[in-house]
Amino acid sequence: MTKLEAKNIVKYFKHDSHQLKALGGVNLEIDDGEFVCLVGPSGCGKSTFLRIVAGLETPDEGQILFDGKPVTATGPERIMVFQEGALFPWLRVQDNVEFGLKMAGIPKEERSQISKRYLDMMQLTKFANSYTYQLSTGMKQRVAIARALVMDPDVLLMDEPFAALDAQTRDLLLVEMQLIWEKTKKTILFVTHNVSEATVLGTKVAVFSNRPSKIKKLIPINYKRPRLAEDENLLPLQQDILSELRPEVKKG
Amino acid sequence: MKANIILKKIAFYIIIVAVWQAISMTNVWPSNIFPSPYEVGEDLAYTAADGSLFFGIGTSILRLLVGLAIAIGGGIVLGIFMARVEVVNQTIGSLVLGLQSIPSVAWVPLGILWFGLTDAGIIFVTAIGAIFAVTINTYTGVKNINPHFIEAARNMGAKGTQLVTSVLIPAAFPYMISGFKQGWAFAWRGVIGAELLFSFLGLGFLLNVGRQLNDVSQVIAIMLVIMIIGVVIDGVIFKRLEDKVMSRWGLR
Ligand SMILES: Nc1ncnc2c1ncn2[C@@H]1O[C@H](COP(=O)(O)OP(=O)(O)O)[C@@H](O)[C@H]1O
Ligand SMILES: [Mg+2]
Repeated sequence: MTKLEAKNIVKYFKHDSHQLKALGGVNLEIDDGEFVCLVGPSGCGKSTFLRIVAGLETPDEGQILFDGKPVTATGPERIMVFQEGALFPWLRVQDNVEFGLKMAGIPKEERSQISKRYLDMMQLTKFANSYTYQLSTGMKQRVAIARALVMDPDVLLMDEPFAALDAQTRDLLLVEMQLIWEKTKKTILFVTHNVSEATVLGTKVAVFSNRPSKIKKLIPINYKRPRLAEDENLLPLQQDILSELRPEVKKG
Repeated sequence: MKANIILKKIAFYIIIVAVWQAISMTNVWPSNIFPSPYEVGEDLAYTAADGSLFFGIGTSILRLLVGLAIAIGGGIVLGIFMARVEVVNQTIGSLVLGLQSIPSVAWVPLGILWFGLTDAGIIFVTAIGAIFAVTINTYTGVKNINPHFIEAARNMGAKGTQLVTSVLIPAAFPYMISGFKQGWAFAWRGVIGAELLFSFLGLGFLLNVGRQLNDVSQVIAIMLVIMIIGVVIDGVIFKRLEDKVMSRWGLR
């Protein structure tokens, strides 16, 4: 069943004197429960596309359909996880995780019951009372993911969430992310510039062309899970993606 | 603080008092013009013993607190509106910058004309002297909020006053503290200046009484009290608040 559909998404940005056409008609259909990784040259508009899906930005042409209905604003069914997490430094970890529930007016007791589950899942229980400055970058990303999962969204939108992590932490989170996806059955859109990350996580990898960008190729990845970053069987797929990507990066 | 620095400070003040005592003992100026530290201390003890000192301190601080509370409340509201509503910034914003350049005591005539020689008049002068510093710092703080904080909050369902109280104010708080600190300094100057000119109770009034009685040691004694209160509020309350916020917000 189709969960999300991008129909001919076009987006311009004003740059002093001229208009920059960032997205030149993006078409993408995503089924319920898919894990789609978006790769593309830097500056091609991956973040912009994700923000349009989230409803944080409006397209100049085209539309996003969620369960067949056009997206016009942000909504709790589509939750974004930002690259640096965008955690609130004035709140403890638990209060960060409960933020969306609090906004929805859910009483304290119930909030902490729900957050407990996700703090547990993300191995954050010991840090529930910490402030974000006391956490490592990896821990912060876990909090950001927990904060998004608590909203129980249909779709998770993740914008290079692992880009700032060291290799070890990233490998750990790559495995956990697969387990979370299998456990929660979320539909995930995951932007990354790391091709190996894309093949480890995705059920499909969408390759963006250079600006004005479209989706150049959609590569399905059928391989057993949990996949590990160092699995050599993924290498041919990574080569495929890179060969699509290379000419685009050169154009940029 | 290091013991070494404390020792230096103590030595410095002992030297100041000793030099002061030495000058007064030369009798170059008569003691009613240049009293010795001992005489000032005596005067302080006297006004403390008859309660007038503490009544003066209490009155001034109460006016300060009420005036500052009004300034903080009003300044936050005004600052947020200026930061979030462009037309408010373009109109009221320019006026605020102009008004901020008026010294607090210049509001005294207006305070007297509007409120008479009352507490309300002094509080008016105190509040208006402080409000624009709070406004401008709040404005700057809100303008400097990481836009991802606001987007993440909106995405998780925060809107309207909820967004203001749970994101805008806490996120801008480090800047707002600077505003409170400046505001407090203006308010303290404002309250003493107003009391001096209104001549209606408080430490400023005691200063004025000292002048009218040609009692130089009382004037100096009250000035010392004003200074000490200033140092204590600055160094204890604001410094602690600032340290706490800065480390909590991960700014140091
Ligand atoms: N708010 C904005 N104003 C102007 N230009 C923007 C804005 N956001 C993005 N852009 C431009 O749009 C293009 C795509 O940006 P982005 O979506 O961040 O790319 P990516 O995430 O793929 O690196 C870039 O050239 C960028 O400079
Ligand atoms: Mg990006």
